[in-house]
Amino acid sequence: MSLYDTVVIGAGLAGLTTACHLQNKGQRVMLIGHGVGALVLGSGCIDVLGYQPVESVEPVRAWPDKLSSFMADHPQHPYSLLGETKINEALHAFQGLTETEYQQNGSENWLVPSAVGAIHPTCLAPPSIAKGHLGDTASMLIVGFEELRDFYPALISQNISAQNLGIETESLTLNLPEPGASKLNITPIELATLFEQADFRQQLVSVIKARCQDYDRIGFPAVLGLGRHAKVVVDLEKQLGRPVFEVGTLPPSVPGRRLFEALKHTFVQAKGRMNIGTKVVAGEVKDGRVTQVQIETTNRLKPIIAENYVLATGGILGGGIQTDDQGRVWEPVFNLPIDHNSNRQTWFTPKFLSPVGQPVSSYGVVVNDRLNPIEDTRPIADNLYIVGSLLAHADWTQGRTGYGVALTTAKHVADLLG
Amino acid sequence: MQKKSTEVLVIGGGVTGCGVLFDLAQRGFKATLLERGALSMGTSGRFHGLLHSGGRYAVNDPDAAHECIVENQILRKVMPHCIEDTGGMFVSTPDDPPEFADEFYQACHKVSIPATEISIEEMLRREPLLNPKIRRVFTVPDASVETWDACRSLVVSAAEHGAETLEFHEVTELLKEGNKVVGAVAINKVTGETVTITADLIVSAVGAWGGRLAAMADCDVTVHAGKGTMIAMNYRMVNTVVNRCVHPSGSDGDIIVPIGTVAVIGTTSVRVDDPDNYPIEEWEVKLMMEEGEKMVPSFRKFRALRAWAGVRPLYQEKGAASDLRAVTRKYALLDHSPRDGVDNFVTITGGKWTTYRMMAEDTVDLVCKKLDTTRACRTAETTLHNPHGESKYHTLGSRLQKLETGEFDGQLICECEIVTRNQIEANLATNDRHIINDLRRDLRVGMGPCQGGFCTYRVAGLMHKNKQLTTQQTNKALVDFLQERWKGMNTVLWGQHLRQMQLDEGIYMGVLGLDKLPPGLSGIDEKRVAEVETEGYYEVS
Repeated sequence: MSLYDTVVIGAGLAGLTTACHLQNKGQRVMLIGHGVGALVLGSGCIDVLGYQPVESVEPVRAWPDKLSSFMADHPQHPYSLLGETKINEALHAFQGLTETEYQQNGSENWLVPSAVGAIHPTCLAPPSIAKGHLGDTASMLIVGFEELRDFYPALISQNISAQNLGIETESLTLNLPEPGASKLNITPIELATLFEQADFRQQLVSVIKARCQDYDRIGFPAVLGLGRHAKVVVDLEKQLGRPVFEVGTLPPSVPGRRLFEALKHTFVQAKGRMNIGTKVVAGEVKDGRVTQVQIETTNRLKPIIAENYVLATGGILGGGIQTDDQGRVWEPVFNLPIDHNSNRQTWFTPKFLSPVGQPVSSYGVVVNDRLNPIEDTRPIADNLYIVGSLLAHADWTQGRTGYGVALTTAKHVADLLG
Repeated sequence: MQKKSTEVLVIGGGVTGCGVLFDLAQRGFKATLLERGALSMGTSGRFHGLLHSGGRYAVNDPDAAHECIVENQILRKVMPHCIEDTGGMFVSTPDDPPEFADEFYQACHKVSIPATEISIEEMLRREPLLNPKIRRVFTVPDASVETWDACRSLVVSAAEHGAETLEFHEVTELLKEGNKVVGAVAINKVTGETVTITADLIVSAVGAWGGRLAAMADCDVTVHAGKGTMIAMNYRMVNTVVNRCVHPSGSDGDIIVPIGTVAVIGTTSVRVDDPDNYPIEEWEVKLMMEEGEKMVPSFRKFRALRAWAGVRPLYQEKGAASDLRAVTRKYALLDHSPRDGVDNFVTITGGKWTTYRMMAEDTVDLVCKKLDTTRACRTAETTLHNPHGESKYHTLGSRLQKLETGEFDGQLICECEIVTRNQIEANLATNDRHIINDLRRDLRVGMGPCQGGFCTYRVAGLMHKNKQLTTQQTNKALVDFLQERWKGMNTVLWGQHLRQMQLDEGIYMGVLGLDKLPPGLSGIDEKRVAEVETEGYYEVS
């Protein structure tokens, strides 16, 4: 008998969510992650469909209304494979998964400001981010800090103003009070830990309070605490007498880190086994089934055996897909086939911010409707499941669907196995 | 329309033009320089960064080799702050003809290049990553040179003698009166303003573009453009310039130059019709990677950071055969008065970066003759002004040391290249353009492994704040810089570098949503994007 019901490989949003769902259903799950996953690189919000047509710069408001045309345009996208009902089930299941609250704006996207003041349409957001909704015309003051090089409040407020959204916006750049003042290269994560200190907040409030009276709400860089985030926000709002919201910074993302920690907490509380910092180097497939995966230990390759295996190692960014100068493209654990063009000149468009995406970003593992990897139409292993950005035809830049794909495919696998 | 007048007008802000300007100014001429882009933006900014010892030309072009060694020694004295004394090696690998080694050694000594043979053991002690199967090694006084600092130093030093430099001024017309060239009309590409400059004499120092400029004065000059492609590897796998000990004609990808934080491999040699349009081809990238492995067996394990190409100016005498390989690397100085019957117009073209000073001296000697005056050249004895006020500015080690010893107290904006907010703000205060590339050339911002992933946003935020730019100007600076970085990257994206690019995409599209700002606000210029450019590690728009 196997030690585990399911081994999940990868600790990004797709892997963690799959692991949490299955563990909650009573499975014995082992989660193995090479690193901490890509959540700390993202915004911490769940984008489901932000733009349709994808090259449009007009954000989608009521995303369920645009789903069918997105699917029609992208028949091979994981959404098209799993359908709208599954997406909704996945979002619902995610909201109950952790102690961290994620809010939905009815059937519309939140339109929240980014760190350049662009509109970021997103489906689920922590309340601290949702309160910056640009569909609400309440005036805002964006506060930043000289010491934080990853956030420029004047650029944000002026870009918001320039978009004529009917929101009065101003900015304020302050020096951090002690003990932040001496930290010239403070990271968002470090600053978040400072915000957890009451006397630090007290000093800031004393400076901001007099200058924020004309504004309905106050935006801060997304550094308002880590584990004590909710308390930090409540305290600031109480002291400043108005709503406080967060705007994303350059990575590392504090909201992303909070989500990572929350999912990890859920999984561990449910007695899931977790092994972060370990690399799965190979997997064995016999007679259409995965028999084991092997992890790197100090002196040998150690087999891990389970009934089912979920591969959530990500795309090129996550390390789930590798490439080389010869134009080879491969999946390093099971060597799953990845349909690709070996002429590297076909991988890219001439434009960096490409409205049609870089072709290489659509490379991935092709699956059937059970998310088993297939060769031609035949499953390679019927106890192996692929979730998240490792899937083919799932370039997140196209419509901003990345986290929606992660949650939907995770839910689907959880339904199949649980 | 703005009007100016000067004694001598120099066109072209590569190292030759800058060298001519400084020499003119130092000899007391009133001189003005026009450059269509930023200094060193053409061929001078798109080379290896190699200060030749002359070894490469010793066998097949002894005159050129001798010029190189003489100038190599002079430049070490006059621009020490731009030169890293890496030393050089010529290595004979198992793929190279063994008999060439002795021929090379003798040829070096004939032209006074101090080549010394060392043992393979000694070679590996100095450069452990070199191929242990290399059979023979000779050391030579090669070095690496920082072209932007050099050009900047030349014009700053020239300015001390009253010379004027106008960057981003493109010449649209040469003014003629009868058979005389009397001036030029240029358009200021930043403001759109037109400037007319009259001069007693015009010097064309525009390299591969020499034919086009001469045609504006009705002179027939043939300068071929010989494309050379280079790749910057994100690691100094060698700290010595390494050359293959082979006959240079017919050999590609046979030099590795450690410069700044990177090692540059090059180059190819392909004739192109248009010096402004020469895409890097996949075979060139493949060839560099393969040839690199012959010198450094682990070459492919390092990350290729960026590829770029430059166009060598290859002057062809009237009526000469058109074989590119037969065209000399020696320079050509043309007095169009006897040659074409056009007065007051001189062209300097061809040659190499290493010999720019000698070319400038010859050119200004001709200017003196034509203006009927005798003034001695002193550029071989004059140490240039150092715009950074410190030596070894361009090496990462010196910056790292400052950081670690607390001498850099500013916020780190570009972590890869160790550039602080204080440096950026000081630079912004001296510059009236809104181009992040200017900061890159001056400070190396955005040149490291993340290729601007983090620092582009930070620099844009600082520019917006310090220069009171509109958001549109800021967004444009941001988008333009990212696009320029992309142009040099997408030919060498695979492996870890491709992951890095996807992180950058995640930041600018996913986190910042820069691509979704409304048109008109975003600064995304479709026309610019559509231009096929081969901008590399060194270059811009």
